[in-house]
Amino acid sequence: MLLRRVFQFFVIYFLFILGLMALKYSLNLSDYVIPAPSGIFQTLVVEYRQYSIATINTMTVAIIGQILSVIMAFVIGITGRQSTWLGSFIKVAAYNIQAYPIVALAPILFILLGDGFLTRLLIAAMICYFPVLLSVLGIMSKPIDDIEHFYRVTNRMRWQLEVKIRTFENLTQLTTVVAGSATLAVAGTIVAEFIAANAGIGYNIRIALYQSDLSKILIALFLIGITVAVYQALLELLGTAIKRAWTGR
Amino acid sequence: MSLLCKNIAFTYSGAENPIFADVSFHLSAPGFHSFSGPSGVGKTSLAKIIAGDITSYSGEVSTNGLQTILYSHNKERLPGWSNVDRHLNQVILPSMRSQKDELIKIFGLSDCIKSRFDQLSMGQQNRVNLIRYLLQDCEVLIMDESMSNVDESTRENIILAIKAMFPHRYFIYISHNVMEVAKFCDSILVFRTNGKASPVVMIKGCNIGKGEILSPAALDATLLEIMNAS
Amino acid sequence: MTHKAKSLTLPACILLAMVLLVTTSVEGKEKVTYRLKWLRNVSVIGALYAETHHLFEKAGLDVEVKAGGPERDAIREIEMGYADFGVASADQVLRARAKGSPVVVIAQLFQVNPLQWMYRPEEMQIDNLADLKGKIIGITFGGNDETIMRTSLAKAGLSKSDVTLFSVRYDYTPFYRRQVQLWPVYRNAQGPIIAAHLDKAQEKTSFFNPAEFGVKFVSNSVVTKSQTLEENPELVKRFLTALLTGWQQALSLENQEEAIKILLQYETNTPHSILEEQLKITRELIHPTTNLAIGMIDEPGWEQTERIMQAQKLLPMEGVDFKTLLQPVDGVNEIYR
Repeated sequence: MLLRRVFQFFVIYFLFILGLMALKYSLNLSDYVIPAPSGIFQTLVVEYRQYSIATINTMTVAIIGQILSVIMAFVIGITGRQSTWLGSFIKVAAYNIQAYPIVALAPILFILLGDGFLTRLLIAAMICYFPVLLSVLGIMSKPIDDIEHFYRVTNRMRWQLEVKIRTFENLTQLTTVVAGSATLAVAGTIVAEFIAANAGIGYNIRIALYQSDLSKILIALFLIGITVAVYQALLELLGTAIKRAWTGR
Repeated sequence: MSLLCKNIAFTYSGAENPIFADVSFHLSAPGFHSFSGPSGVGKTSLAKIIAGDITSYSGEVSTNGLQTILYSHNKERLPGWSNVDRHLNQVILPSMRSQKDELIKIFGLSDCIKSRFDQLSMGQQNRVNLIRYLLQDCEVLIMDESMSNVDESTRENIILAIKAMFPHRYFIYISHNVMEVAKFCDSILVFRTNGKASPVVMIKGCNIGKGEILSPAALDATLLEIMNAS
Repeated sequence: MTHKAKSLTLPACILLAMVLLVTTSVEGKEKVTYRLKWLRNVSVIGALYAETHHLFEKAGLDVEVKAGGPERDAIREIEMGYADFGVASADQVLRARAKGSPVVVIAQLFQVNPLQWMYRPEEMQIDNLADLKGKIIGITFGGNDETIMRTSLAKAGLSKSDVTLFSVRYDYTPFYRRQVQLWPVYRNAQGPIIAAHLDKAQEKTSFFNPAEFGVKFVSNSVVTKSQTLEENPELVKRFLTALLTGWQQALSLENQEEAIKILLQYETNTPHSILEEQLKITRELIHPTTNLAIGMIDEPGWEQTERIMQAQKLLPMEGVDFKTLLQPVDGVNEIYR
């Protein structure tokens, strides 16, 4: 799975570069508009170390942000699953927060929390949590009647058991959503870095933009892409391992 | 203790006509009783009304001292995260372990009890489900097609064993197998197709127990009565 | 003719008439796209003035002035053919040129770089570059201001550890809260706004202009493609003449109210007094003395800009050929002294 994902990424990335090169050479564009392959390679050699460290920095924030958002989504999803007043209140609040574009909220966050780690983390978590929340809410508010009936009629149903049953029955969907949300967490972190942080690959992309250096951006995209592909594959493997351990299959 | 239903009528939400109306009957003694009739006449709905799962009906259900009424059906599943034996142990009192073991043996499940629910055949799944309901503290247990996909001889063994092991319990067995119902049930509530004066008729079954021999003539008479009623 | 056909005739005729009207109105006028570097504000008042007062049309041109933005790059657009002329900063031009872009500079808009540092005179006095020692200085990492400040520090013999560099955003709060002592601003556009803001709190402001200490870094210029210049010099001449006329008229004192009226269309909430101040400062940056004509290209300034960038490894050491890069147009850059 891991190798396949990385391979697929390579295919996509090199097709993209190939497309750019076709454009460059067919329109006879200068290296300023689209860098030549040698220029990209040279940038890779020069920036490899710094950009890799920046990407790892971004990934660290993204992963912590994702873990937080998954926890947050589960807490809200579980408390919001009931059709009680509190349940619907939590749902409305969660939806409302999402209605504000993060780019609009970001300046407030930066003023309140500064432009360091915490703000990046919060923005990553906020961007990534909503799809997870929607899935968790959907899953948690849909009864699995053919299993739950017995526990309900024999007064054995507790919320923990209910959550356990619904999680177990929708494990594939949940692991897919969590793995997918990794991309969003990374995107969120990069957006935060781009807007305001002083570290991470998003910040480097911003500098590259200032310097009108497309090679650096292409290298950054490559590193982000490959890291996300590996991270996602690892999450999927983890999901499969959890599933195997829990379902015995 | 008895179960009394008076003038029960029920209409599905959104439907124009009631699925049944004016259903009245009385189960005055524990034992094996049955609801019989073709699909769609309302057997399951009536069972759910009695169990309290459906509340939007008219008429009166008196459970005179029958405190716990459980409704079980053949589509139920056990969670898949551990084997069925562990699940069973979690939902029964420790004092019932020996009874559980006995039932497992009679139900022919000894070989697969350590398997997970989804690894069992449909017949095995239904039997496991039935065992967990049997071991609950209840006065009435409704078994809606609870032994579908189980072969006939095993089914007979199970019914006879249940009758012997739980003589003080009311069972309402919903099944399409008229022969089986006629043979083992004490009373049979036959749902009649539309147009008859009374929507249901209560018929006395042969109600044979363990070791008892059934006379073919008595069975024929009961079967005939059910046929005429429906 | 059927009834349906008849009913379609009238709209068709109207449509045809409209098409003819539109085409004849621009008939004989060449379509030109001019990509600004930033949004429509005082830094491009010349183009806005020329646009509003139909100076381009009088020159036989149908010019579409397009606002820029952080992700816009006029040089790329010109090379791709999306724009004919554009505004680009000197560092962009030099980078592009070093990478083989056919960009040429036909006029230099700012004679003095508007990118300067704001500070509170009560906190410091800057008589020479060494006075920056120990200060907390705002810079946009990766931006021009970083290059300029690093050059200023190097020139003063100050190392990284002698000052504290603070990463700057669009939000000025750290300066207002005195977390940062020197804050980079566009002297003509943002300067008056922030100064007015601080003035309300009875705080005085001054500006540190590195050029005054010998650090000359060229700012915005008008660029086009060498091909356009070679193939259509007449068009380039007409465009630049109209544009520089726009600048000259916008900055002349007698047209001040007219220029403010134009700016008010885009900055409806900015007080008149601030716009007036913005224009005054812009005048000083675009046309500081009568020796320097509007649009004149300061070649030594460009050479120094290149050296600065080379020293910071932002450009390769083999230099740019300024003869082919800087192409003032046939006396046009000399008109408005």
